[in-house]
Amino acid sequence: MNQSDGHFDEMTGLLYLEGQLDAGRASEVSEHLRSCAPCREIVHALETEGVWLREALAVEDESIPARVIAAPERGATHWGWIAAFALGTGGAYTLWSGFVEPWLTQASQAGFTQGNLLTMLFFTGAFWKGWDAMRSLMEFMAVATLGMVAVWLLRKQWQRFTAIAFVMGALVLGALAWAPSAAAADVEHGDPGYTLPAGQEVKTDLIVAAERTRIDGDVDGDLIVFSNSLTVNGHIKGDILAFGAEVRVNGPVDGNVRVWCQSFTLDSAVARNVMTGTGAGEFDEKSTVGGTLTMFSNSTQLNGRIKGDLLAFAGDLNIGGSLGHDARIRGGQLSVGPSAEIVGRTKYTGYHEAEVSPGAKLGSPIEFTEIKRGQTYDRPRYYWHQIMFWGASFVLGFAILLVAPGFFFDAEQMCKKVGSAIGFGALFLFATPIAALIVCATIVGLSVGIPVLLFYGVAVYAAKIFVGAWLGEKLLGAGVGVGPALGRLALGLAILRGVRMLPYVGLLAGLLIVMWGMGAVVLALHRRITTPVVVAA
Amino acid sequence: MDRQTTAGAMNDADLAQLLSQVRTGESDAWGELYRQYAPAIFRFCRRLLPAREDAEDATTEIFMKVRQKLGTYDASRPFTAWLYKVASNHCWDTLRRRRIRQDLETGDVDSLPLEHPDPSQLERLQAEHTSKEVRTGLAQLPDRARMALVLRYYADMSYEEIADTLGVRRAFVGVLLLRARHQLRDALSGGGVANARKASAGGTP
Repeated sequence: MNQSDGHFDEMTGLLYLEGQLDAGRASEVSEHLRSCAPCREIVHALETEGVWLREALAVEDESIPARVIAAPERGATHWGWIAAFALGTGGAYTLWSGFVEPWLTQASQAGFTQGNLLTMLFFTGAFWKGWDAMRSLMEFMAVATLGMVAVWLLRKQWQRFTAIAFVMGALVLGALAWAPSAAAADVEHGDPGYTLPAGQEVKTDLIVAAERTRIDGDVDGDLIVFSNSLTVNGHIKGDILAFGAEVRVNGPVDGNVRVWCQSFTLDSAVARNVMTGTGAGEFDEKSTVGGTLTMFSNSTQLNGRIKGDLLAFAGDLNIGGSLGHDARIRGGQLSVGPSAEIVGRTKYTGYHEAEVSPGAKLGSPIEFTEIKRGQTYDRPRYYWHQIMFWGASFVLGFAILLVAPGFFFDAEQMCKKVGSAIGFGALFLFATPIAALIVCATIVGLSVGIPVLLFYGVAVYAAKIFVGAWLGEKLLGAGVGVGPALGRLALGLAILRGVRMLPYVGLLAGLLIVMWGMGAVVLALHRRITTPVVVAA
Repeated sequence: MDRQTTAGAMNDADLAQLLSQVRTGESDAWGELYRQYAPAIFRFCRRLLPAREDAEDATTEIFMKVRQKLGTYDASRPFTAWLYKVASNHCWDTLRRRRIRQDLETGDVDSLPLEHPDPSQLERLQAEHTSKEVRTGLAQLPDRARMALVLRYYADMSYEEIADTLGVRRAFVGVLLLRARHQLRDALSGGGVANARKASAGGTP
């Protein structure tokens, strides 16, 4: 016996009960138990404690989560893969026929003779008419599915290779994007200003990064400038591509002008197209644009002559010059002055009707579409649109559930962390586009910035899906499998859509839902690409 | 409760056929194997890991390991024993990666005095607490104590298997189990374990 009082200790009792004593020792204990009531009580108490523990551990007081059940179904659900493949194929076709081909076709028309696909994507994609085709629900779904399939296929390599692949891919694409123009370019860095004196001619492309840039001489190639202020007085025989605060072009340009700046003034002839993204734009009376003028502007005075189409998103647009072709304008205010002349059709979408001077010469009356403020609850079409929006979200959610059920349920679960999800969501919602646009400001960064913006767009759209799924689970409980998950998703999205339709608060609620869902996506991604270090409860 | 009842209830012949189909890469067979055993493994993980989400993740990861390691499974041994071994190793690794490993439990267990239990008090403790309370108390135990109890009284593992999983000498398993029982009793009767744990984890709850 182990104890001085003649009884054995608790450890011996436990080992005896569990059959862990050797035969001799076990028979010794067994013998002792016959004659020792206190030890029998101890052994009996340990035995019942063991049974009690087994029973407590065996009790099933929690349901099996849908995620655990659903995970293997992706392997067995062949029809889901077939649907995803079909949608993916459709997406690839849509991308090619809807985007790449028309872009390639438009590229030469738009004067991108020295350009490359990335440049075209960036400079013509945003205003390309082919976006209309993308409004087709199935096409959108197909493209989204294609993207998700790609992400899913790469998910295992994501953690290990993502940084390397991303950087290498960006470098390669950036190099490809840069190569055509940089190969034969004269690169200048101003200290702090750069001036190309009058009478001098640069016989190749000229790239300038300077605080102030003045081009009085000629450039027999493209002029690419990153500068706080740029004044061009010389003759540019290629394109002008400029980023800055203030840009003024006084000299003739044989190619295109593409400018992103605070203030832009054109006082000369541009042989091809002009695209501007400006706070304030001014096209003086002497200015001419041989091709299309595309503008994103807060306020623009258009007194020059545009030989091609005008495509404008403008807060305030005053037309005092002549337009040789059609005009499509969307903006807050449109004024057509007495000296204005528009040869083709004019379509204007805005809050107020255009102010047209009696002296203005118009090829046809302005086709005005009023933008209605607020919701139009009295129109059946409004409700039809709501159903379509709900359906689109549901189909996308369905696709995500089929293609990446693990991620779907992860993101859904992360919605439970309401505070942190909304916090991270707000951060990423506002920071991501800013970061992407900053990256886009350099040509090399386009290859990174554009995919980030595309992914960001998908994430913003998909955010409500996870919140909807979470809401559905709250209301209907956590059933097992894909079917109940779809039911929960349908209900949750319907409720969110209903909330979104509320006057005034709907918009705010929509923003909150996007932040919430986006945060959940970020947290789920973070959880997947890092080893969780969690403090035990 | 043995492993055969806590895990999927397939007979040996069906299981052997299923495993051979899985080895040949049949995705349907893999799905069936998963469906049969994933719920049990999830429940097992749920008893070992502090959060439900952790158990969900662990279940998925364990089956990924099972798929990779299935070639090493010795068909002469029970499949469920092997499966629980993979699962318990994974859970223990997961817990070990956590920052709040209890320094206290790594070496001082032998020297901590065990009060001799009063059988009547023990019976009262058992009578007064529901299974749910026991599970709550269990969740408060240090990782190794909880692992030991679950491996022994839920997964029905032998002392050798427990020793192998937890990386201790076989002779130490009994000490671990008895210590864990005492800690559970303390937790149920007034939070003694929580206090001990807090002290050992440097104040981390």
